[in-house]
Amino acid sequence: MLIQKEYGLRRVYETTPAENGAKALRLSDQVVELGPREFDLYDRLTAWLPTQEPQDVFCERIGLDAGKLASLARKLSEARLLYRLDELPASITGLELHQEFSRILPSWLAEAFSHPFWERMISGQGSKRMFSGWLIELYHYTRNANRHMPLSCAHTREKPLKLLRAKHYAEEWNHYHYFTKALKALGYPDETVTSSVPLPMTLALSNFMRQAAREDILAYSICSAVLEGTTTDRQTFNPYYEKCAEHYGLPREAIRPIYAHLELDVQYQHSDLFHEILEKVPTLTGARAGRVLEYGHQLAEHIWLWTDEIEKYYGDEANPVPRRPFDPQLD
Amino acid sequence: MEMGFPLLRRSASVQRRDGQLVIEHLSSEVTLEGPAAKLLDKLLPHLDGQTSVGALAEKLDERPERVLKLARQLSAAGVMAFRTDDDGSRMSGAQFYELHKERCRHWLRPIYDHPLWTKIVEGTATRSQVIGFAFEKYHYIEGAYEHMAIGAANATAEMMPHLARHFIEEYNHGDIYRKGLQSLFPDDVILAAQPLPSTRALVNFLSESAARNSFAYYAGNELLQLTENTGEDQAGQAVNIFYAGMKQHYPWTERLINSFLAHTHADQKLGHDDVFQQMCASVPPLTGKEVRDALEVTRSMAEHLRLFLDGIDVFYRRFPGIPRMPSTLRSE
Repeated sequence: MLIQKEYGLRRVYETTPAENGAKALRLSDQVVELGPREFDLYDRLTAWLPTQEPQDVFCERIGLDAGKLASLARKLSEARLLYRLDELPASITGLELHQEFSRILPSWLAEAFSHPFWERMISGQGSKRMFSGWLIELYHYTRNANRHMPLSCAHTREKPLKLLRAKHYAEEWNHYHYFTKALKALGYPDETVTSSVPLPMTLALSNFMRQAAREDILAYSICSAVLEGTTTDRQTFNPYYEKCAEHYGLPREAIRPIYAHLELDVQYQHSDLFHEILEKVPTLTGARAGRVLEYGHQLAEHIWLWTDEIEKYYGDEANPVPRRPFDPQLD
Repeated sequence: MEMGFPLLRRSASVQRRDGQLVIEHLSSEVTLEGPAAKLLDKLLPHLDGQTSVGALAEKLDERPERVLKLARQLSAAGVMAFRTDDDGSRMSGAQFYELHKERCRHWLRPIYDHPLWTKIVEGTATRSQVIGFAFEKYHYIEGAYEHMAIGAANATAEMMPHLARHFIEEYNHGDIYRKGLQSLFPDDVILAAQPLPSTRALVNFLSESAARNSFAYYAGNELLQLTENTGEDQAGQAVNIFYAGMKQHYPWTERLINSFLAHTHADQKLGHDDVFQQMCASVPPLTGKEVRDALEVTRSMAEHLRLFLDGIDVFYRRFPGIPRMPSTLRSE
C-alpha cells in the first residue's frame, strides 16, 4: 500500500513543548501530545508525505519496514493528525459547510492574530505612531471595500446570493468615515489621509478579495466572514483599544468612532451573513468546499502578513506617516 | 523678482558633518562646504517650493543671483527642483525611459540588500525557506498566465503588439521552474500547491495594473525585468556566487538551480532587454498625470517585490509547512 496516496495531512496550528520532551500539537478540534520518538517519526513522515521519494527509500532511511510505516500512519490517523483521502466527502450541504467553518474559525483567527505586534502594542512596547499607522491601513482597507464588495455582486449569478451581498455592501460602503474621524482626533486631517497611499499588504488584502469575488461567491463570502469574525467579540477587541489608549495617551475621540463602527457591525449581525448565504446553497462538491475553505484560511494568513508589514513600516521612525503618493517633483 | 520656486526633494536627506552639508538623494551624494554650505543651511527651512528665489533672497538678506546660482547647481545635481504647476506640458517616451531607469536603480536597492539572499548563500536559511523560494518563484512566473494575459487583453493600440508578444513568449516559463520542483515533488502536488499571500500580492498587483493602465503596468513590469540576469558581467557574477552558495549548503537543490538557470537562458534568448525602451519610443507623449501614475506603479512594484522576499523569509520561518497544500474538507 502506498501511504502517500492514502493519507493527507491535517493542519497543525501550533506546536509547543510539553513535559518530558513531548510535543503538543494543536489542531482545530483537539490537542495531540506526542512523545519525543513519536514526534520525530511524525515529523519525518509529514515532511516525506508530499515528496517524490519512493516509499521503500524512505523506509530504509528512517529504519522502518513497510508494515511498521503503515501502522504508524494508521495510528496518526486515529490520533487525527492524518486523514484518509478516500474519506473525503464527494459533496456537502451549505449548512454542513457552515458548521465546518464555525468549528475552524477560532483556529484561523488565532493564527491571524498570532503576530507579536499585538502583544507588543498591549504591553506598551509599541507607540502612538504604530497605532496611528495601523489605523491608517485599516482606513484604506475599509475604504477599499468599494473595490471588492460591488465586484462580488457583479460576478454572482444566483439572485438570492447577490441580493444578500448587495445589502451588505449598502450597509458598509461608507464605513471608512469612522476611521477618518478617529485619525482626525490623532492629528491627521482628512485630506492627508485620503491622499495617502496604503501599504502593499493593505492593497493585497483588497486585491485578494477581488480575486475571490471573481472566482466564487462562496470563496468571497468566507473571506468576508473571517473578517467579520474579527469584530464580534467585544472581550477581544476592547482590551486592545483600552490598553493602547492608556499606554500611548490616545484621546477618547480617537477610540469612540472605532467602537461605534464595531457596535454597528454587531447590530447589523454581519457575522451571520455567511450562514444566511450557505442556507441558500443546497449542495456543493467536496472539491469546491475545499477551495472555499482554502480561501478562508488564506485570508487569515493575509492578516498575519499584513500585521507584519504594518509593524515593519510604522516601526521605522524614518518612514513618513501617512505614506505619500509618488511625486516626480518632490521625490 | 520670482525666478522660480526651489524645493528640496522630500526624499533627500541632509546631514551635517564637520562643517560640511551632505545631501543624499537616490544614489547620489552632494557635499557642500564653506560659504555654499552656510548659504544652504540658511535656505533649508524655506525650500518647500512655496517661496520664490526673489522672496528667499529678500528674507535672508542675500543677493538673488547667489541664491539662484546655488539652487540651479543643486537642481542640476538632482537634489533640488523648481516647483512648476501642471501646465499641460508632456514628457516624451524617451525622457520617461531615462527617468524611470534612474528611479528603478534606487527603488531596487532594498531588493538587492534583502537578508534572504545572505541567508541562502551562507547556509543559515531553513529547508522551508529554500524550497519556499523555489516554489514562490514558480508561482510568480506561472502568474504570467494572469497578468500578462490581462495586459494583452486590455492593451492600448500602441501597447498591444508588445504585450501580446510578451505573453506569447513567456506563458510557459512557469513549466521550467515546475521541472526543477519535480526533482523533489510529484507534479500533482506542485500544481495544487498554494502561493504565499505575498506572492499572490505581487501577481494580483501586476494583474490589477495590467487591467487598468497598459503603460503603467509595463513600467512596473520593467522593474521586475531589471532584476533578471542579462548576462552582464557584474550582475552575472553576483548571481553565480548566489547559486554556488546555495548548491554548497543545500546540495539537494542542484536540479532546482538548473531550472533557475534554464529560465535565465530562456529569458536571455528572448532579448527582452530593450522592449521597454521600444515601448517608450512608440507611445504618444505622456501627461504629468500619466508620468506620476506609471512611476507610482513602478515604485509600488518594487515594494511588492520586497514584500515577496519578506514573505519567503518571515512566513516560512513562522509557518514552515512546505509545500503549501490546499485545504480539503478533512484537513482543517
